[in-house]
Amino acid sequence: MKRTIFLLLIMLFSGYLFAQNSTLKVGENAPEIALPKVDGTAFSLSSLKGRIVLIDFWATWCAPCVKEQPELKALYEKYANSVKNGKFEILGVSLDKSKENWQKTIERFKIDWLQVSDLKFWKSPVAKDYGIEGLPFNVLIDEQGKIIAINLHGKELEELVHKYLNVEK
Amino acid sequence: MRYFIFLFVAMLTFSNWASAQQKQEPWAKSQLMETATLASRITNNKTKDLLILSVGPDAIIKGSVDIGPANNQENIKKLNSYLKNVSKDKKIVIYCGCCPFDKCPNIRPAFNTLKEMGFKNAKLLNLPKNIKADWLDKDYPTND
Repeated sequence: MKRTIFLLLIMLFSGYLFAQNSTLKVGENAPEIALPKVDGTAFSLSSLKGRIVLIDFWATWCAPCVKEQPELKALYEKYANSVKNGKFEILGVSLDKSKENWQKTIERFKIDWLQVSDLKFWKSPVAKDYGIEGLPFNVLIDEQGKIIAINLHGKELEELVHKYLNVEK
Repeated sequence: MRYFIFLFVAMLTFSNWASAQQKQEPWAKSQLMETATLASRITNNKTKDLLILSVGPDAIIKGSVDIGPANNQENIKKLNSYLKNVSKDKKIVIYCGCCPFDKCPNIRPAFNTLKEMGFKNAKLLNLPKNIKADWLDKDYPTND
């Protein structure tokens, strides 16, 4: 009997492990993102090594994501010096389908951080690589590309960025 | 005893309130189409009498027509002109799937337009979370 319970427990636990494997974990390396920028040139996340990077997954069709863009802009401006010194960056990864909408929204909000997209909507491989179930979604990574935080927004996000940028100075 | 009466009244009030909230949606529960139903009709080629319209970011469902996000007035016009010569008895199902129903800016204006135009067999595809979780992850048929 004890053995059966033990076996059942192991089965349950392995199921849990398996489920966890499909999603991101803090402390793990962030999956590579290799996508084109708005002008069509290639870009890869690994080229940002050495910086704290906020990867913002968004789309112009996602109302809460669009609403968050001014907050990200404020964050980007607040840490403009860190950006200049190569310590901080924001990478916007759009799950848009329409290049026109994507471009227009970038212009409308005067988004001046990095923006990439393969314009494949939910079929973009990054959605799978990062296990994204819905937008908005973001990941904060450290200088080595390790995940520091998953899906933090607003004040919580800002405080963490602040903490990491200050510690590293 | 008083406590029970209070609880009873509170429950009644709340349930009335909750159903009142539901009534505010332009569709009735019976006007929701389940994804499994639509997916099996597509797979079995039984969609000839059915119009599948995307009123969101992308017409990803196989055989659907891309109207565009219905929170944009231009796309409501597009929906109007697309349906101008369609019989009011035609079975129509619309979907968006950008986000959960309560956050979606597209399904309400689109469904209201169908109602205003007098379509009697209009339905809304039941995508409570989004098109990713409720359609793509289930490997239902898509436009490629």
